[in-house]
Amino acid sequence: MATSSSFSTFSLLSQRTSPRLPTITCSLSPLRSVSSFSQSLLSSQFLSLSQPTNKYNFSKRPNLSSKFKVVASADKKKVLIVNTNSGGHAVIGFYFAKELLASGHEVTVLTVGEEGSDKMKKPPFSRFSELVSAGGKTIWGDPSEVEKVVGGAAFDVVLDNNGKDLDAVKPVIDWAKSANVSQFLFISSAGIYKTSDEVPHVEGDPVKEDAGHVTVEKYIASLSFPSWATFRPQYMTGSGNNKDCEEWFFDRIVRNRPVPIPGSGMQLTSISHVRDLSSMLTLAVEKPDAANGNIFNCVCDRAVTFNGLAKLCAQAAGSELNIVYYDPKEAGVDAKKAFPFRNMHFYAEPRAAKEILGWKSTTNLPEDLKERFAEYVRIGRDKKELKFEVDDKILNSLKVPASV
Amino acid sequence: MAKLVVMQQSNTWVSPRSSVLPPSVSGFHGASLNISVQSWRRKWQPKVSGIQVMASSKNILVMGGTRFIGVFLSRLLVKEGHQVTLFTRGKAPITQQLPGESDEDYADFKSKVLHLKGDRQDFEFVKTSLAAKGFDVVYDINGREAVEVEPIIDALPNLQQYIYCSSAGVYLKTETPPHFEVDAVDPKSRHKGKLETESLLDSRGVNWTSIRPVYIYGPLNYNPVEEWFFHRLKAGRPIPIPGSGIQITQLGHVKDLADAFIKVLGNPKASKEVFNISGSKYVTFDGLAKACAKAAGFPEPEIIHYNPKEFDFGKLKAFPFRDQHFFASIEKAKLELGWSPEYDLVEGLADSYNLDFGRGTYRKEVDFRTDDMILEKKKSLVLT
Repeated sequence: MATSSSFSTFSLLSQRTSPRLPTITCSLSPLRSVSSFSQSLLSSQFLSLSQPTNKYNFSKRPNLSSKFKVVASADKKKVLIVNTNSGGHAVIGFYFAKELLASGHEVTVLTVGEEGSDKMKKPPFSRFSELVSAGGKTIWGDPSEVEKVVGGAAFDVVLDNNGKDLDAVKPVIDWAKSANVSQFLFISSAGIYKTSDEVPHVEGDPVKEDAGHVTVEKYIASLSFPSWATFRPQYMTGSGNNKDCEEWFFDRIVRNRPVPIPGSGMQLTSISHVRDLSSMLTLAVEKPDAANGNIFNCVCDRAVTFNGLAKLCAQAAGSELNIVYYDPKEAGVDAKKAFPFRNMHFYAEPRAAKEILGWKSTTNLPEDLKERFAEYVRIGRDKKELKFEVDDKILNSLKVPASV
Repeated sequence: MAKLVVMQQSNTWVSPRSSVLPPSVSGFHGASLNISVQSWRRKWQPKVSGIQVMASSKNILVMGGTRFIGVFLSRLLVKEGHQVTLFTRGKAPITQQLPGESDEDYADFKSKVLHLKGDRQDFEFVKTSLAAKGFDVVYDINGREAVEVEPIIDALPNLQQYIYCSSAGVYLKTETPPHFEVDAVDPKSRHKGKLETESLLDSRGVNWTSIRPVYIYGPLNYNPVEEWFFHRLKAGRPIPIPGSGIQITQLGHVKDLADAFIKVLGNPKASKEVFNISGSKYVTFDGLAKACAKAAGFPEPEIIHYNPKEFDFGKLKAFPFRDQHFFASIEKAKLELGWSPEYDLVEGLADSYNLDFGRGTYRKEVDFRTDDMILEKKKSLVLT
């Protein structure tokens, strides 16, 4: 049934008025006997939060008036990012590179494939000049020949952001090990968690053992790098994104089309600004001992329902919203093609990053979506001619008109 | 500069019947050490030096304490060596032996806990009786409105701490859960009295701490939360769940809540702070029905979904939870208090079942009227 939604008042992170000073906290963890994490490597359960590391970081004394921030050590590192050439994860390498460069590290981004390929015309690759002017190095090649592609250069840290399975990542892992890389980081996926009636996905929860990413994680863990960590992201938003996220909603909203949402629309998902993923990765680079041996859900700390996301997009666009609910089976459409997110609760929380790294989430969807919409308009996508074949099929099956 | 704060022993709750599942690995029993970095001083707070031993005996007043939360909390307080007085009208017995509690433990508790009989709505009586006694700490477990709190703080100008049981129900509904303590609150909510109480405490310069639980469960629960499911499971009836059944809620075990109340006692990190206290994970309505079955040893239930808008239930409540997502993050309490829930959902439900419903005790008589209305409609739809 179609519902015209009036925008409910809400506010994200509004402060209640309170006369007290802002709370300043330091990371605390109960001291316990800590078993070595390398012993739990090969079990199907990775590090569980009930056995936190007994390492904690003291900070420099911050200004009382400023918000407490963990200040990292300033060792300059040589970082190699092996980056995928397409898809939702592509943008992670771009932000991470930028942040590392801004912090004074040396960064090389090895993008899979060829510099001249059509894929490189899309963001974030189309913006790689920004990395170069910031002092970064951008190269292209086949990760299975990584040593050759990097010209025998040495690195302290390697982030593999190109792996779905062991075939793709093993050459990079093996080379990194033989080249004495101190820290190996891997972008895995929160999609490997087994679904449950209980949410969220928390580090240590059971994963699908046959998932490609799981095999890679286990392999990395087995090699005893001086420091290794795996990061499990979900969906991302942010300028330079290679894959549509909120754009899917904007496309329909600006054209006054109904927004078809499967099921009840109550499904929870997690949309993080990619700057959050980048800051988590950077913190791991700056705190290799703390990060070592850990799984990190690489997500912001808030979820959003499909309904909520549609509402926030409409608010960002300053437009009306018309949601239409459907059952993919009854409408005869492929659920994956019809909607940009998994048709179920898919919600992980970044508990390890907060507890172990002292990381903080900054994603603020209501605000971030406003920026995203501004860019959406700036690049003229609101005027673009688009086809909505799957939508039309859905609307047809529900006998709902295409324009509101 | 690190400082050692010796915390009290975490209590193990005695249960003679084994729960359905073995105890969870998470959580810890016995003494724990909390290493806290010296906290930045707020103006009001005196400097704390040396080793603080939590168990210095305090004269504690519990408003309520004979029904649910307070029953468990008062036991912990007495065990810690504090002098505990329960302020109640005396309608319920001041103490009752808990299922699974040994005769010796109960006798000890019963001999130590004190009773101040009165009606907290009689503000004059509250003020004079409290002033006469002079308590160090107040645990306000059953306060609803700010006016109820005024006579208490007026009567006790040297009060060390006012610990208030608020509710996560004060949060403004959000598009981006979970609720964090910094989130917007709803001045129009059904729980606005709790909000007004928090504001009053703050405005009076009292050293207050506010705990916001979500849904509380456990043995002796008088809110038919888990009991609602157990009744239907026992009767072999289908479980009617509104909407899609994927609405997400959160249950927190009463014993974990009591532990949290202990953790904030005399704790500088709790001064003028709000803490969400509940379970570590959240659960869908459908998932909760299944968890109740699993915990109590029933087969997986038949779940029937219905559209609540198609029914007029009148004054009857068809389902024990708000029909929306409703859950709160407990990370602040974990980080700042070193508290973490010991019970996971199925374990906690098993504890409740084994010590309460499973023994034949419950608070609310079974009422399947709304169920029958729903089932009737489903039947008629099938027939047409």
